[in-house]
Amino acid sequence: MILLATAFSVVLLLAGLATPALAQTVNVYTAWPESLSQPIFKAYTAKTGVQVNFIRLSTGELVARATGEKNNPRADVIWGAPGDGFAAAKEAGLLEPYRPPTWDRIPPELKDRDAYYTAVAKNTLIFMSNAKLLKEKNLKPPTSWMDLLDPAYKGQIQTADARTSGTALTRILSIYYALGKDEDKAVDYQKKLHRNVQVYTKSGGGCTIPAALGQTTVCIAHMPDAMEAKKKGYDMVVSFPREGVAAVIEGVALVKGARNREVATKFIDWTFSKDMQDLLDKNDVYMLPTLPDASIDAAVQSLMKEAKLLPVDLEWVGKNRKRLVERWVNEVIKE
Amino acid sequence: MSRGRDPVVAPAVVLVWAAVLLFVLYPMSRLLALTFWDGGPTLEAVRGLLGDWTHRAALVNSLLLAILVGTAGTALGFAFALLAVRSNLPRWSERALDAVVLLPLISPPFTAAIALIFALGPRGLLSYHVFGLTNVNIYGLSGTLLSETLTYFPIAYLTLKAVLANIDATLEDSAFSLGARRWRVFATVTLPLATPGVANAFLLVSAASLADFATPLILAGTKFPVLPTQAFLQITGLYDMRGGAALCFLLLVPTLAIFAGQRRWLERRGGSFVTVTGKASAATRVKSLSPAAIVVLAAACGLVVALVLVCYLIIVAASLVRGLGADNSLSLAHYAHVFSGGLKAVRDTLFIAIVSMPVGGLFAVVLGFLVARTQFPGRRALEFAAMINYALPGTIVGIAYLVAFNDPPLALTGTAFILVVCYVFRYSLAGTRATTAVLAQIDPTIEEASASLGARRDVTFRRVVLPLVRPALLAGMTVLFIRAMTAISATIFLVSLDWSLVTVRILEGITNLELGQASAFSVLVILLVYLAVLVAGLAMRRLNAGSLGRAGTLLGG
Repeated sequence: MILLATAFSVVLLLAGLATPALAQTVNVYTAWPESLSQPIFKAYTAKTGVQVNFIRLSTGELVARATGEKNNPRADVIWGAPGDGFAAAKEAGLLEPYRPPTWDRIPPELKDRDAYYTAVAKNTLIFMSNAKLLKEKNLKPPTSWMDLLDPAYKGQIQTADARTSGTALTRILSIYYALGKDEDKAVDYQKKLHRNVQVYTKSGGGCTIPAALGQTTVCIAHMPDAMEAKKKGYDMVVSFPREGVAAVIEGVALVKGARNREVATKFIDWTFSKDMQDLLDKNDVYMLPTLPDASIDAAVQSLMKEAKLLPVDLEWVGKNRKRLVERWVNEVIKE
Repeated sequence: MSRGRDPVVAPAVVLVWAAVLLFVLYPMSRLLALTFWDGGPTLEAVRGLLGDWTHRAALVNSLLLAILVGTAGTALGFAFALLAVRSNLPRWSERALDAVVLLPLISPPFTAAIALIFALGPRGLLSYHVFGLTNVNIYGLSGTLLSETLTYFPIAYLTLKAVLANIDATLEDSAFSLGARRWRVFATVTLPLATPGVANAFLLVSAASLADFATPLILAGTKFPVLPTQAFLQITGLYDMRGGAALCFLLLVPTLAIFAGQRRWLERRGGSFVTVTGKASAATRVKSLSPAAIVVLAAACGLVVALVLVCYLIIVAASLVRGLGADNSLSLAHYAHVFSGGLKAVRDTLFIAIVSMPVGGLFAVVLGFLVARTQFPGRRALEFAAMINYALPGTIVGIAYLVAFNDPPLALTGTAFILVVCYVFRYSLAGTRATTAVLAQIDPTIEEASASLGARRDVTFRRVVLPLVRPALLAGMTVLFIRAMTAISATIFLVSLDWSLVTVRILEGITNLELGQASAFSVLVILLVYLAVLVAGLAMRRLNAGSLGRAGTLLGG
């Protein structure tokens, strides 16, 4: 009986090994949640008939996986993941430079100089606060980085661990640029902020649910996290520090040695067309599109009026990211 | 006996060795090369680790946490076991206890930790809404300890319950009739008899804590770094595969020490943990606990049960409302999603779990048989090698598989095959252990009789051994099924465009504010696993397998 079952299982498995060859497919790794990425991929399939297969992975898992698969890549395109992951992927030799036809219209701060990756959208850092808890504590939504140092916020701030997520890097860069590009000052500020932090979460938007459910008052995360929470009906207030915030780029890149290279490049071309860029607004992705003439979500646009967006030097970030994170580990959180 | 010259054992040994070489040692060697080889041998990875204070702290913390969780979990498990088998509880309440206690053990990772935050966090259901506490801190050592204790004490409970049940109550009775008082009987008869079991439970719970990365990922925060989480961060956050792998190898040292220790304990006891004695102890009413002690014990265990229930009721609630905390109106939308968009993941997971069962079960039984009943050079080495994938943190096993099986001719990534293989070689240990335990109780003369009647070794194996080890096979298969339904750490690197898993969807839901969906998937997984345990239990009863009938007994390893 058991021998039969085993034999049967093995046959089933072998049958599963022979995967049917589909006409036109492109294989994608994305860090975007399915709710954001799938509608966009579906739109492409509807337009061209090309099947978009995708797996959703966190940025780190995505890069680890692509690194492991380097000699025999499974993905053709990495689509929608924070810029630091792409910097690491570029360094590891996982990417092939590619310039879409609209390359010249994309602002320089949104693309890698050597064209290894290009931003599909810009993702802004925000403060989101639980409205009920603010009221209870008689606090106004924080509008300065300095507000967060108020002892009233002790144990009431959650944000991402610098070792895990692009969100954390955006936060550190925001502080760095907001404090006049003075790294020591930025580290010093973070040490003070650390005293008020309840916990550093291991995923970028990890503090959204705790803030929404009142486990913490303030969550420093990205725009889509806050907007999704608001859309779900949680009473959240979005605010910005007047000193300014940085935005992380959500990149797109062609994988070196991609099996479906030609289909993949067409998919990338479409990504940077106005057609697709308009979808970011239509589908409530709550990020800022890359192409200057693409439409922007009304809610995001009105919020962005309050925000001062600090320019980020991608090259500097690529060279200094590791040190910034190391200083966070060795100086900020070390007590 | 002419064991050495047997024409069937040798091919079996070769086959099992080949499988272990290919699916355990080969990926490990690729990983070792990745870590310690860079154009030549290098200790760069290790050097980098020692310089980082979080890694040094993580090593100390991991050991500390393992000891604390081991102690607390064993104590709690012992209390529950006493209540279950030494308190003359009505049968139904013992069953209920079993059902609740199994809950944390069979739920997908992350679920327990998240539920605990909602129960005992700063604005938790219990901490704030019931007790009015406003400044609870659940993050750090205390929260991680609590969550891991609640998750893993069932391992101790199931182990100790079997041990206590096998301590003949008539022994205690004799002590009573000699005039000893209750406490003295407990301290001089019951406890010493249970000591090996307690040590075993402690080691099992500690090992589980040592390997757990999901709980600290959510609850430990930056103040209490532990090794498995650090390894995960090193790889996925700092894009440093070499450093992460080195951390995992560091973790392997205490883990293997624990397994070696546990093996020694079992061997000293002659592997007779699960002995079905058939002694007439049922006739006497156990009275080793005073009524007052039973009340205290019941109250303490009742509190723990209540906490576990509250945690899981929150999960059920989250799955049944539109948006927990924002829109608490009842809705089946999350389940609708599970059975539409999530159906593929459910189907894939079930397929892989069901296929893994017989393959892994057979592998476990053959390996257990070879180890327990035959002599061949390298027997110990084989047993040890087969354990490696279980002892290593899942993250690193996943990456080792990815690195080893991505390129032709062994390009297995992207298939269901690699997931099945991963489960078979990671979670067969329970079945192997069960097999050796069962075989220890079966007199080898039975097989010798078969042999002397002229049966070949394979015939003897099929007609004599296999029927006798059926309970072990079933237990091993059940554990494999449970693990395949709930594991995530290794398989996150092995899921593919064609094969997705429910646990991956749960993790995604938790990180993407889809708490309702994550909860609905979790509830479904828990129900499916309960069903499997129930079916296995019924089958066990038909096989008359006694205490081994509880597949859960083996979940810890």
